[in-house]
Amino acid sequence: MIHVRGLHKSFGDNVVLEGITETIKEGERVVVIGPSGGGKSTFLRCLNLLEVPTAGEVWVDGEEITARSTNINAVRRKMGMVFQHFNLFPHKTALQNLMLAPVHNKMMSKEEARSLSISLLEMVGLKDKIDHYPSQLSGGQKQRVAIARSLAMRPKIMLFDEPTSALDPEMVGEVLDVMRKLANDGMTMVVVTHEMQFAKDVGDRVLFMCGGNVVEQGHPSQIFTNPQNERTKKFLNSVL
Amino acid sequence: MLDRTPPGPLTPPYGWEEGLRFEIYQNLIHGDRWRQIASAIIPTLQVTFAGLAIGLALGLILALMRVSKFWFLRWISITYITIIRGIPLMLQLMIWTFVILVNPEIPRLVVGFIAFGINSSAYVAEIFRGGILSVDKGQTEAGRSLGLTAPKNMALVVMPQAFKNSLPALVSEFIMLFKETSLLGVIAVVDITRSVDIIRSRTFSPFVPLFAAALIYLTVVTIATWLLGLLERRLRKSDTR
Repeated sequence: MIHVRGLHKSFGDNVVLEGITETIKEGERVVVIGPSGGGKSTFLRCLNLLEVPTAGEVWVDGEEITARSTNINAVRRKMGMVFQHFNLFPHKTALQNLMLAPVHNKMMSKEEARSLSISLLEMVGLKDKIDHYPSQLSGGQKQRVAIARSLAMRPKIMLFDEPTSALDPEMVGEVLDVMRKLANDGMTMVVVTHEMQFAKDVGDRVLFMCGGNVVEQGHPSQIFTNPQNERTKKFLNSVL
Repeated sequence: MLDRTPPGPLTPPYGWEEGLRFEIYQNLIHGDRWRQIASAIIPTLQVTFAGLAIGLALGLILALMRVSKFWFLRWISITYITIIRGIPLMLQLMIWTFVILVNPEIPRLVVGFIAFGINSSAYVAEIFRGGILSVDKGQTEAGRSLGLTAPKNMALVVMPQAFKNSLPALVSEFIMLFKETSLLGVIAVVDITRSVDIIRSRTFSPFVPLFAAALIYLTVVTIATWLLGLLERRLRKSDTR
């Protein structure tokens, strides 16, 4: 589903990704962990070209998105992205936040988008908030709307960039529950997170990123109980 | 209504009330001079609204050029804004009238529309640019990650928020524009200021005509500020916390 080959990214002199090669299969739940500044978010943002790689290739669903001829907007419609700071559109209600892209990308009729959006908001447990503006919602509710907004495009892949890092602790659970639901439905997911329990429960594979490289990877049971790399051990010791 | 009977000749000693009443009669009522002021309100408002319309439309285009990723568009916009903001409006008005649009067929009022519209557009462009920059980068990232094209993202996600953020500054710009129309007298358009100046030069009494004009400007600005304040509050509806 996603192939990454020799992905490099630097901001000026600051090298953030040092040549990552990785394959993510359809239906796989990949959790990316690691210390901050290790390139996790940049890696994720390169997958839908919010950051343009300095070198290397990214293939999504059989298409090389790093090629100049690729219509990146069409590719992005296949992959939802959830941000740390939600980034809901403050001038739109929850329902309008969901409907905006499907309708204006001419992917569905207004009626179709509306009924899909309502059912998605119901799925994330916010049916009673459809006419609320983001400013009237709590952090956890905002993030659930943001997840539903991405799902309104009927994406094949969902990218999560530290979706619970900006939340009050008591709101983390409700967001993770929605993500668990998605995982159970077989969605392909790439999740950058500091929620180790979530990584253990949901991840098919854990990537430990540090210094712009995937230093170690494997099944969560192996990574969390028997890490091989020194840096992984050190990191896990400090967070667990 | 106004007392239209002519007061008797002023014979000293007389109180200030008597003097004021005489001056009001002389400057506003005699020969229906107030009508000259009333009809001068029309060109003032025409130039204000035409200037505002041109300024908003052109200013929006300039602001979008200013934040474009194409250096050439940015360069045009920056140059335009620099030139317009760097030359006094009165001088611009004279240049339009006496150098560029010299054809006598072109009504001076229309020259006023163009001069004020173009002048305002440079300021409006900077106001809009500030509004666009004030919208969080995450908004664009969210819009683009949903597959919106850059223009659609600008139109649907960024501009509505940018416009709302720009409103207070736009209201100031509107008020400035309205008051600056008092320069229209320079190109022989009889606006409010020019009309009272004509009266002053006839009656040799400055107090009543000048303060009458001041009162008109102040009233219009107060009403407009209040109305635009209502609009702003409506647009801020989604911000209630």
